[in-house]
Amino acid sequence: MYWKYVLRRLASVLFTYVIIIFIYSALFNTVMETTIRAQIDEQVKQEMLLQTQIMSPAGLKQYQEERLALYYKRYHLDEPILPRIFWRALSTLKFDFGNSTIIRSAAGERKVLTIVAEKIPRTVLLFTLATAIDILIGVLLGMKKAQKPGKFLDQSTSIITMIVYGMPTWWVAMILIMLFVYKIGIFPSGGLHSIPPPTGLAYVLDPLYHLALPLLTLVVIGFWGRAYLTRNIVLSTLQEDYIMAARARGLAERKVLYGHTLRSAAPPIATMSILSLLSSVSGGLIFEGIFSWPGMGNLYWVAIQQNDIPVLMGNLALTTLFYLSGLVLLDLIYGMLDPRIKVGGKA
Amino acid sequence: MRFKEVKDTFFEFWSEFRKVKYGMVGLVMFVLFLLIVIFESVLIPFPETGRRWRDITYWEDNPKNAAPVWVNWFTRKRSAPHLVLDAAEFNEKKAANTQMVEAVFKYDYAYDLPPLDLLLRAKGKGLINLVVQLERPDGLRIELVKKAIRLNSEAPIRLSLDKEAASASSNFLQTYEDPAALRSISMFTVQPVETFFACAEQGLVRNPIPLKGEYRLKLTSVAVGGGAALTDPSLTVAGRVFGVMGTDASKRDLWSGVIAGTKWALLIGLLTSAVSVLIGVFYGVTSAYFGGAVDLVMMRIYEVFQSIPLLPVMIVVSAIFKPSIWTMILMMCSFFWVSSVRTVRSMGLQIKEETYVEAAQALGATRRRIIFKHMLPQLIPYAFASMALQVPVSIVYEASVSLLGLGDATIVTWGQILHDAMQGGAVLQGLWWWIVPPGLFIALMGMTFAFVGFAMDTILNPKLRTR
Repeated sequence: MYWKYVLRRLASVLFTYVIIIFIYSALFNTVMETTIRAQIDEQVKQEMLLQTQIMSPAGLKQYQEERLALYYKRYHLDEPILPRIFWRALSTLKFDFGNSTIIRSAAGERKVLTIVAEKIPRTVLLFTLATAIDILIGVLLGMKKAQKPGKFLDQSTSIITMIVYGMPTWWVAMILIMLFVYKIGIFPSGGLHSIPPPTGLAYVLDPLYHLALPLLTLVVIGFWGRAYLTRNIVLSTLQEDYIMAARARGLAERKVLYGHTLRSAAPPIATMSILSLLSSVSGGLIFEGIFSWPGMGNLYWVAIQQNDIPVLMGNLALTTLFYLSGLVLLDLIYGMLDPRIKVGGKA
Repeated sequence: MRFKEVKDTFFEFWSEFRKVKYGMVGLVMFVLFLLIVIFESVLIPFPETGRRWRDITYWEDNPKNAAPVWVNWFTRKRSAPHLVLDAAEFNEKKAANTQMVEAVFKYDYAYDLPPLDLLLRAKGKGLINLVVQLERPDGLRIELVKKAIRLNSEAPIRLSLDKEAASASSNFLQTYEDPAALRSISMFTVQPVETFFACAEQGLVRNPIPLKGEYRLKLTSVAVGGGAALTDPSLTVAGRVFGVMGTDASKRDLWSGVIAGTKWALLIGLLTSAVSVLIGVFYGVTSAYFGGAVDLVMMRIYEVFQSIPLLPVMIVVSAIFKPSIWTMILMMCSFFWVSSVRTVRSMGLQIKEETYVEAAQALGATRRRIIFKHMLPQLIPYAFASMALQVPVSIVYEASVSLLGLGDATIVTWGQILHDAMQGGAVLQGLWWWIVPPGLFIALMGMTFAFVGFAMDTILNPKLRTR
């Protein structure tokens, strides 16, 4: 039963992804084609340089036209607009994002897929780690808050939640960098490794040292909202009859809270946690740039500064895929936590 | 809903809202922000900030990277603040073809760190011979500038003593400072204007002792020729500290910038959230009311929109199409509506089953009447709460796009000031007055709406009540 549910979700998400890629292709078709044409022109010019010795000027001209026509045909640039959009979308769906104009991967390659792929693990590392710590602190604090609603702990942390609600994380990051990196000097200013990178065991510990301040910033700003939401979810569960029954039976408060309440509050808490992880990944674009953390977010900064359109597009497509797989993951976890879903009942 | 019902519902809600303290704090802050927008022209010293934010000539008299004035209250060494002085004495004599002007500026120097520059400004026409003399509290008279200027038509004159008085400064130093000390330093590192504000004794360059008291700067001009004249002289003392929030690397007054950005933040936040929540509520109700195939299709469309990561898309679109602020608001509206759909739909599904809706249907009410008259009014409180909570999100999104330098270049927003701060190396140099205020205003504005929104939320969800 569960597998049927999984397959249905996967099919639906795949369908959504295809639609989104088509929308992107239609939206950015013109700028992509301009870039590809420029790249083809450059390619043909280089080929012509090799031929100048052996060909007459007229023959050279003809050769140029032939080569251009060949490449235009290969990239479907000679077709009407709708097929062009279709081909563009199809190649994006096949992860064929073409070559970058300026940016190169660590190994010096110009394939966009390679460039973006080497950034993904770093983004995943930073944000999943931060979210995991967030969830741990947030859920525990939220349970504590819900236990004694309206008391000092609950009220004070709720006020802090509201204070940080509209605070841009990247602004807090700027201030913390100014304070801890340049005034006090206990953290590195950014990046993944020190320059020059240390060797041996220090090489492994070095990224962790660089990870510390971004992680700290994300956690310090992140867990308040989660605690507040957990509190609300748990608070409404605590008013259910079975909780009263459990308490009446004389069960330990700890057991009531972490056994009975958390079990039924888990699905919505999982939802909000993963949704916030996803939004933090897309919000992390700015955040990574501030810390020059070389992930997908930082790649947007670099690609915009260098005006590297293919990288921008490839990064966007992969970010979307990433985001969508997060949504699927959410559904799968939800299905596991809430048995009503996988048998097709109403949630 | 008749007017009286609306009024009653409102007052009922208000009496609940008044009891939530932080809600009231939020409301007061909101009113304060509105007052800032209304009295913007009174609050800012540079009235044309909004239009000429990127015009360097508008800001050229200000000091660069100056800290706020109130920094003086916390430091032992007090810095000279920024001042614009009018002539204390002004004598004009006119003969046949010449005009003679003698203007005296009095500057009361009571600080430890001298101003960075003295700027003389006036309007002039014809051939003008200028002499600028400084009379110090210790009785020394120094001739700073002697210069002839020829202007064919009336034009502004701007004399920066930091440049013009360089030779006077080096003469002054050679007279009073130990030659060995002078040789040991490069003359390029000496700020000419600074030297005139120190006691004339050895150690002038290395450890200057500030000479406090009244300085008199005398400007004498002789304008020769028909219609030649020098008018409206003024002296700008370019201080080390400036205004309420200091200046940035382009000499712009940050207080003016931040205040001028308030109206844009409010506009972006309120407009985006109002439009997108209205769309979302309407979409959700329609989907819930019709159900069946309509619901299915509408939910599919909703899912596609919900699956698009907005910030990356917005950044890429902004990078390629360079949109104006209105396009940006439109773009946010066309994605933010999804945030309220799911809740509204489930609320709508409940309301749909109520008996009064059934009764209305039995009476032959049209669909439009049922949706607008019986379902939507129930959702108004929820709509207001989610609007309030959507405002900070919109503001942060615009700020994020602007931070990347992709904002609308015809206006000034907080995100753009922060972008300039990033570019100008404010983090590296520790220019906190450039980074803290814009972000703090974003945070305060977010806090305002969070207070109001959370308060409404508590009232609307009876299960969350703590009393």
